[in-house]
Amino acid sequence: MIEPVVLESALDIGFKLVPTLTLAGMLILFLGVGYFFRVAAVDELWVAGRSIGSIENGMAIGANWMSAASYLGVAGLIATIGYFGLAYVVGWTTGYFILLIFMAAQFRRFGKYTAPDFVGDRFYSDWARGIAAFTTLVIAFVYAIGQASGMGLMSQYIFGLSYEVGVILLMVVTIGYVALSGMLGTTKNMAIQYIILIIAFTLGLYATGWAQGWSLAVPYLEAGPEVAEAASLEAQLVEPFAFTSYYGWIALTFSLIVGTCGLPHVLVRFYTVDNERTARWSTVWGLFFICLLYWGTATYAAFGGLLYADGPGGGSFMDMPGGDADSIVLLTAQLAELPEWLVGLVAAGAVAAALATTAGLFITASSAAAHDIYTNLYKEDATQREQMIVGRTTILGIGILTMLIGLNPPALIGELVAMSFAIAGSIFFPVFFLGLWWEKTTKEGAISGMLVGMAISFGAILNDTALPMYTGVEGAVIPELAVWLPGTASALIGVPVVFTVIIVVSVFTEEPPEDVKRLVRQCHSPEPMKKMDSAEDVAADGGTPADD
Amino acid sequence: MSDNTNQNSTDVAETDGGVKTEAYLDKEINLFKPATPFMRDNLRAMWGLFALWAIIVFGPTTAILFAPEFMTGTEVLGGFPLHFFITAVVTPLGALVLSAVYAFQRDRLDTKYGISHEDEEDAETGAVAADGGEQ
Repeated sequence: MIEPVVLESALDIGFKLVPTLTLAGMLILFLGVGYFFRVAAVDELWVAGRSIGSIENGMAIGANWMSAASYLGVAGLIATIGYFGLAYVVGWTTGYFILLIFMAAQFRRFGKYTAPDFVGDRFYSDWARGIAAFTTLVIAFVYAIGQASGMGLMSQYIFGLSYEVGVILLMVVTIGYVALSGMLGTTKNMAIQYIILIIAFTLGLYATGWAQGWSLAVPYLEAGPEVAEAASLEAQLVEPFAFTSYYGWIALTFSLIVGTCGLPHVLVRFYTVDNERTARWSTVWGLFFICLLYWGTATYAAFGGLLYADGPGGGSFMDMPGGDADSIVLLTAQLAELPEWLVGLVAAGAVAAALATTAGLFITASSAAAHDIYTNLYKEDATQREQMIVGRTTILGIGILTMLIGLNPPALIGELVAMSFAIAGSIFFPVFFLGLWWEKTTKEGAISGMLVGMAISFGAILNDTALPMYTGVEGAVIPELAVWLPGTASALIGVPVVFTVIIVVSVFTEEPPEDVKRLVRQCHSPEPMKKMDSAEDVAADGGTPADD
Repeated sequence: MSDNTNQNSTDVAETDGGVKTEAYLDKEINLFKPATPFMRDNLRAMWGLFALWAIIVFGPTTAILFAPEFMTGTEVLGGFPLHFFITAVVTPLGALVLSAVYAFQRDRLDTKYGISHEDEEDAETGAVAADGGEQ
């Protein structure tokens, strides 16, 4: 079902001066901003001194979110798997609502540094913290492979480099600037990255519509005839359950939604804002900024599909090779014969998208390693300098590992990212949700829940992707299992199972201590907290209001 | 529990809807049993919007099962099959609108119960927060 990325492609490969300068200028801008806002303190490295406002944080949420998978992958998925691909559009947008109503403000009130911080403190256990930190590293790693793959594809068009050299080059740049600038720098950068990527994406779409005479002002609403024409070439494009069953569609959407609510690098964006109200509104802004791009993905798929069928596809497009599918956004601009600088801008936007997300992931991974594993589990009195060293070493390590796997990625970009969502959904969502909304959740419940979640989500990925890829088995190891528990969508089964495990174990184990319950209650109090306060500070002082 | 001061402050807090932190620190957090009037109001909005959200997200695809002809056969806006258009454009828009509605609703609740995030921000952070942290 999942094919490795095929690297020959209809992309116009070769060195291009203007796109190269565009990308170089963009990277210099990012590094400059990163340098200007460089940080030395841990507070600033991880939560930007809690100083970010709602629109800026919304843009950062958008840039953090819209990776190569959103920018390149989703349109490619819709073009090759039709209506099933829309599950990605729905899953990756609507999940923010759940995050908003159930979690955003509560996490802001909790007010620590990282996702494992929440798990470790809420479940009063270093084991829980350690498992959460490990999961954070795995998620960052799986997620980042897709980004590295996108970077490699784009550098073929821009520099005319081979895919492999492109992956290495752009990953080195990413590692360099994340290590240099930390969270404050990356938040500033993310707002800029969002603006660049949304302009590049939208301009490419509008220009294609104009050049082909397909659309004028709102391509998302004007693409009807093109969708119909594409559907007449490839009926499967609009056939609801051609590539998967109803179950498969719902399972994927559900996994992406709960994954959204369980991703550590998304969560950390609520730690960086100044108060709970900003946490809420920045979620709304973030979703708006995200929708601007996602509304265009189906349009890109229709436009790109038609152009592809006219050109390299010879009358069809749904069987295009993986490398082409993953670059369909760029291919659309190229096949519409837009000027080279504009196509180059679209490619540069894709790199910005991949870079922004990878930066967010690496920051989260480095804080998990330095803050949660090194400082909290290994050396209580670690100095800030030591933490910075561990954090940066982690960025380097995970960056190199990502680069190596990215050289020969096991799946399409969108699918790789979906797997990290299934992991986040199965392991983190239940402990976050129950941790915030049911104070009697115990550490034993949380730990056993996370372990079961790991078994389910890792098992599903091993079954249908990782093992087949490295053992040469065709399809999945256990095909029946892959039907009900795909690696990209294991959370539909994973989440209810993990919820049940946590609740049952919690009922049969000793209740959490009173101070932990107070911590949970504090997360729900509507009374505003001081900017640098965490729920723990307030809950521990016997209930004196923060502003007394 | 028998602490007098604590009892009093809880009573005081309840009269304003129970928005003070100490009203929360002694009450169980349960998604289905709101402990204070504020939380009851908040949860009512949450559940209502959540139900709408579930319909918007999973409804269209489920409708294909029950009315395949209507969902896939109807064309809107010059060629979009209805199910394709709803899923690609309307569903994300619906989630966005619901999110904005919830955030507005929460702001209105804050006003109703006299909660202000702005005062505190001005008093304590001044210029830094006002310009979004730009330098």
